[in-house]
Amino acid sequence: MMPQQEIVSKEKQQVEGTEKTRAGRYFVPDVDICENDDALRLWADMPGVTEKDVEIVLKDSVLTIVGTVDAGIYDQLAPVYTEYNVGNYYRQFTLNEQVDSSRIKARMRNGVIEVELPKREQAKPRKIEVQAA
Amino acid sequence: MALIRFQDIDPVRHLLALQQELERFQRNPGLSLGPSGYGAFPPVNLFEGREGMIAIAELPGVESEALKVAGQGRTLTISGERRRETQTDSVGYHRRERPFGEFSRSLQLPENLDLTQAKASLAAGVLTIRIPKAESAKPRQISVESR
Repeated sequence: MMPQQEIVSKEKQQVEGTEKTRAGRYFVPDVDICENDDALRLWADMPGVTEKDVEIVLKDSVLTIVGTVDAGIYDQLAPVYTEYNVGNYYRQFTLNEQVDSSRIKARMRNGVIEVELPKREQAKPRKIEVQAA
Repeated sequence: MALIRFQDIDPVRHLLALQQELERFQRNPGLSLGPSGYGAFPPVNLFEGREGMIAIAELPGVESEALKVAGQGRTLTISGERRRETQTDSVGYHRRERPFGEFSRSLQLPENLDLTQAKASLAAGVLTIRIPKAESAKPRQISVESR
């Protein structure tokens, strides 16, 4: 049997570009995006974010994902050794595909958000039958 | 011991204070966790609280059944596997950034902790392990006899 791949640690990336009015670091969540004939599907890793604290907005073909972490678990704790920072998550994508915004679905599990973006009917690929002349 | 206190602070400043504290310790680590230190997966933050130490690690997408936390002596081991969500239909990927696979990491904890009494919980992809102080390390009032 082939040995399973081991995960390597990578440092969180801070959001660059337009600055937020609120102070503090925003991080870029790691995402997977895949496409099939019916929909685009997106997953974003946002550890520490629950379903109540995530916001997904699609406006003018721009998809925005914002996840807010609850820093309350750190109340009354003093750091002694740290390897990563904690912060809210923010990421934007411009969608080329025609998405039916009324049918977007999202669910959150174990700090991962899954967003399903169904394509509009007219944007779906269609097979054209070729007839013999 | 400088505890982070969040009472009476608004949530924004509260997070900013936490970020500054975490960064300060990232630059000046006060202790070493042994051979598997910075760069190992999962990254771990270690805190001191009233009852003992708290280790926190981010493990998004890991199910509790696929996660193992073990303690032996002063060594705390976090291991498991992150499996990709099952995909039935054939798909084309636009992006693949998220890591999947197996992981295992051992930490050397400071002395005077009781790993046999440690408790671990997983919520929203964040693993929290609470390790209480050993009985022998707790402060004790010593009675003074008069002669």
